[in-house]
Amino acid sequence: MSNRVDEKIFEEAFDWININNKIALVTVIKTWGSSPRQVGSKMIVNEKGDFSGSISGGCVESAVVGECIDLLKKDKLSKKLDFKVSNQTAWDIGLACGGEISVYLEQIKK
Amino acid sequence: MNIEILKSIIDNKKKNSDFAIITNLMTGDISIFKKELPLNKNLENYSSEINDFFNNKKTGIIENSELFIETFRRPTKVIVVGAVHITQYLIDYIKNLNFEINIIDPRGYFASKKRFPEVNVINKWPDEAFKEIETNESTALIALTHDPKIDDPALQYALKKNFFYIGALGSKRTHENRCARLKKAGFSDEQINLIHGPIGIKIGGKSAPEIALSIVSQLVLISNNR
Repeated sequence: MSNRVDEKIFEEAFDWININNKIALVTVIKTWGSSPRQVGSKMIVNEKGDFSGSISGGCVESAVVGECIDLLKKDKLSKKLDFKVSNQTAWDIGLACGGEISVYLEQIKK
Repeated sequence: MNIEILKSIIDNKKKNSDFAIITNLMTGDISIFKKELPLNKNLENYSSEINDFFNNKKTGIIENSELFIETFRRPTKVIVVGAVHITQYLIDYIKNLNFEINIIDPRGYFASKKRFPEVNVINKWPDEAFKEIETNESTALIALTHDPKIDDPALQYALKKNFFYIGALGSKRTHENRCARLKKAGFSDEQINLIHGPIGIKIGGKSAPEIALSIVSQLVLISNNR
């Protein structure tokens, strides 16, 4: 299914750019096993770490927000990140449900 | 992604077009894909894969490539007959989903812009109203007036045009009478059985917002299982 036109994340991204000048757009590009959000799910993040949308059910958002702030501060254009379950960090950044996801971060500038 | 691409995505969504976003995960290059537009030169080698993803409404990474393709399909068109109380709640639920609503009601006092500021309201009888709306097998009909004069012509139209979802409000008794009328009008049992009547899935509610929720749930269920 690709019925995500219903989500208003692009419109929100546009509004955010007008306020923040640049933001990071995060997209789930691949999933393995059980992961809470499907491929194509999106989240936007600004330099302050405010975010909207979701890429998992709350499992990896905090880590990704940190990566986004870094991306924006260093003025990088894009970055790919993979998340797997690891026992040590599962509580913090792993997927509690046992899945794995890859996400793509990209900067959008005014 | 640059802001021009973002604007173009928003614009394509607004126009309800079918399109895809193709991102090169290595280079960060992005392009908008549409059936009617020539394919970006850098993507020509993957033309068949891209078309396969697009035609099958798939989103994902094209195998053995760095290309991520996201397919966006236009919202499903839903025609609601009856600008009634339930319709007001229905619209409230549906606005967060991938549906485009059109309301038909010949009764001016119901079908006012004031009651439905954000949707297309056609203040005409169904036969006339359908001349203004493009429909096909991907269209849904929700008949809510339970007035045969208004609902029946719309149901007949939807059956003839093979709408993928047809639902009609009314008690079992009302629905039996409705089926009898449709049979008399020449529709087969097979066709008549395609109508979801009484409309909605059973959630045990009787209030207008609960009925609206049960209808929207059924519409989503049928849409996702197509």
